[in-house]
Amino acid sequence: MAATVELVGVEKRYGVTPVVRGVSLKVEAGSLLALLGPSGCGKTTTLRLIAGLEQPDAGTISIAARVVDGPGTRVAPEKRGLGMVFQSYAVWPHRSVEQNVAYPLVLQKRSRDEIATRVAEALGWVRLGGLGERMPQQLSGGQLQRVALARALVANPSVLLLDEPLSNLDVSLREELRGEIAALRARLGTTTILVTHDQGEALALADSVAVLRAGVIEQWASPSVTFHEPATAFVASFVGGANVLEGHAESGVFTWGNLRFSLPDELKGISGRGTLAVRPESLEVSVDGDGPRAVLAARLFAGSFVEYRFSVGDAVLRAIGQPIESAQPGALLRLRVLRAWFFATP
Amino acid sequence: MRSKGVAGLLFAVIASFTIVPLVTLFARSSGDGWLSVVASPEALWALRNTLLTAAGAAGFAFFVGVPIAVVLERTDVPWARAARVMLTLPSAIPPYVWAMGWVALANPRAGLLNLVLGPGTLDIYGVAGIAFVLGGAGLPLVVLPTSAALARVDSSLEEAARLSGASVWRTLLTVPLPLALPASLSGTALVFLYSASSFGAPYILGVSASPPTPTLTTRMYSEVLMGADGLHRAAVLSAELVVLAVGVLALNAVLSRSNKAALSLSKGFTRRPLPLGRARIVVTATITMIICMIIILPLLAVFLTSLEPNWGQLKGLGFSHWRAVLSNARTVSATVRSIVLSVSAAVLVTGLGLAIAMTRRKWLETMGDAVFALPGTVFALALLVTFSRDVRFIAFEQVAFVVALGNTLTLLLIAYVAKHLAYGIRNLGDGFSQLDPSLAEAARLGGASVGRAFVDAVVPQLRGPLTTALMLTFLTCMTELTVSVLLVPSGSEVLGTLVFELQSYADPGAAAVIACAFVVMVIVMMIGIAAVSRPRRALGAP
Repeated sequence: MAATVELVGVEKRYGVTPVVRGVSLKVEAGSLLALLGPSGCGKTTTLRLIAGLEQPDAGTISIAARVVDGPGTRVAPEKRGLGMVFQSYAVWPHRSVEQNVAYPLVLQKRSRDEIATRVAEALGWVRLGGLGERMPQQLSGGQLQRVALARALVANPSVLLLDEPLSNLDVSLREELRGEIAALRARLGTTTILVTHDQGEALALADSVAVLRAGVIEQWASPSVTFHEPATAFVASFVGGANVLEGHAESGVFTWGNLRFSLPDELKGISGRGTLAVRPESLEVSVDGDGPRAVLAARLFAGSFVEYRFSVGDAVLRAIGQPIESAQPGALLRLRVLRAWFFATP
Repeated sequence: MRSKGVAGLLFAVIASFTIVPLVTLFARSSGDGWLSVVASPEALWALRNTLLTAAGAAGFAFFVGVPIAVVLERTDVPWARAARVMLTLPSAIPPYVWAMGWVALANPRAGLLNLVLGPGTLDIYGVAGIAFVLGGAGLPLVVLPTSAALARVDSSLEEAARLSGASVWRTLLTVPLPLALPASLSGTALVFLYSASSFGAPYILGVSASPPTPTLTTRMYSEVLMGADGLHRAAVLSAELVVLAVGVLALNAVLSRSNKAALSLSKGFTRRPLPLGRARIVVTATITMIICMIIILPLLAVFLTSLEPNWGQLKGLGFSHWRAVLSNARTVSATVRSIVLSVSAAVLVTGLGLAIAMTRRKWLETMGDAVFALPGTVFALALLVTFSRDVRFIAFEQVAFVVALGNTLTLLLIAYVAKHLAYGIRNLGDGFSQLDPSLAEAARLGGASVGRAFVDAVVPQLRGPLTTALMLTFLTCMTELTVSVLLVPSGSEVLGTLVFELQSYADPGAAAVIACAFVVMVIVMMIGIAAVSRPRRALGAP
């Protein structure tokens, strides 16, 4: 039942504001694509376009090799055979858990016995067996989320769409459900598209990640490539939280404002204006090592490591490392770039 | 405590013009032979007509109002805002004006529609006509609460249904409709009550019907005209009507309790209209047609009637009636009387409402609401029975003072104030509950006395509710008929009773002129109320 999903040159404007600008993507049958980006990047709109809840202004969308949106073609959302979990869960408050989950099957006019069997099965998948009679008001946030998931999966959809499914849950529940979604997907093999602003979620669950910014795909690759080989400074900063320094490189030295960093060996050869992306863990903090000095603005203890924040001009530099006893706010500490990516300004 | 004393005083004043007369009325109705009155064929006929017209009106308002509200609130139908504004109009204009419009449109002999469709095609007189006119007039009572409930439904609930395979229409039926249903049903119950309590429309459309179709209220009026025996029979019928009203209100209370269930479980609330697609044109046309039929057509008919030289004659249209009516001494004195009464009532209602809101006594508010829900005919009859000279009222010592009220405009004013006290209490109660007490406290700390702080810091915040209460009471009293028709002293008509007289017995053209003036006044006042009640953005909010 798993289907491919393909977008070619999809565009969407709200009024004059472009929201999605020429997105092309392909999701292989049975794989999971994560649409990752900050709020307002067009990821949810892209998902809603695939769902048929919005209509593209240009481009084509195909599901299982059938064009559902394209010149002269528009398939209504209810005829696309999809399952969707909404950010707000959208569990109907006037229907019991069972009635919520059974709804897609009722619309398919399945027999009563079949509906009962399949609803019980779907509730089993999300570990809600025995709660079928409950009304949504009697459930916790995590349980509502599971109801929404069971409802999206019960009719065996060709594609499962997840719109920030975990963002309304608290941290421990989020971890737990993330694991469950991964296990469930492995078992059912449904093609899945996940919208999230949480890079951890995207990297943990996805087979491929598309990072969006202002309606454009910045990088579309596997999680490991996205993390280790960011295509743009934005991807480096959004995935992995790199510091983004705009400056000038010349003979092994990168000048950023008043600070002059000596570049790591693999970047010795670069020159010209560009952006240096440095992950916090690649920025070494020391009291009397090499590198330029900066004023420590804050020191945040995070258990196994310490995060240091330096304010340099209007910008904030983040570094992660081991605790240094003498490093109190106001202290002058030395910074050294251990690893970085350089993106030359075109 | 001082506030306790104030609350007690307010209670005593209000009770002596509400509870005491009602108790007197029921004491009067429970005399000998009440059963024979209730079981008499005339009374049963009136009860049947009341039940049928009220149920018909409620059904009409439900089956027309709920689909309109769902479509306007949840889909991409065009001009939804304009339609919503239009749909507040029917209940703002007194029902007898709609009845007058429909008499001009669909009386069997010379109705304008019958001129087009052939004589006798439509007959607005009788049970069906009354139900239709009252249902149309009561439409906002269903549309407004249904729309309010629908506005709280998150769009993702509908989108989830569509992703589950439901079409747009199926989605509307399975998600927003059941969620708004308790509110709709509660509104429908109010239409039933509103119709059962109505007097003008059933009188205009019932008396000339063949066979004559009296309802409980119009029957009570006829009985009162017959004198002392009639008064007793009317008292019995009013008890019957009150039992009906209490039953409906109890049902409504149950419904509004279930309405409190959370409508949306979601956090990030979004609203996106469902696309109607190709059906959009048909839906738009249907809604336009309904609005035309219920609102525009009857108002046009009233206007046309005011231009006709003789009733039902379309030749020689002109403003002869307008000139005659506007220069008529009877009209002028009725207008002056109505304005004086309405302004006084508005000021008293607002002042008492303010006082009651400040005592923050829930039971005083409930008392105001209860009188408002009481059928006007019953309330007027209670005052009539209690304060007319015929009745010895022996419970208190102040009898001499009380008796003097019979057959005076003062009693009519008291009736207006007591009946519409809810406007003051509701508006100012809501205003007070939203009041920021720190503003008055800041004024006190700045050196203001209690009174000065109230005037400087509290009253400006209440400008919206104060204006709304004033205008709403003024508007309602200017066009009031149900209470006035029983309490107005002979020879001193008010505008409502003048229109009623002219329409029923003398000159519908002249009645139409005043009705047109009413409509203009209602529209102007509603624009005014909308302007003052527009929520002001709180400081600091985005």
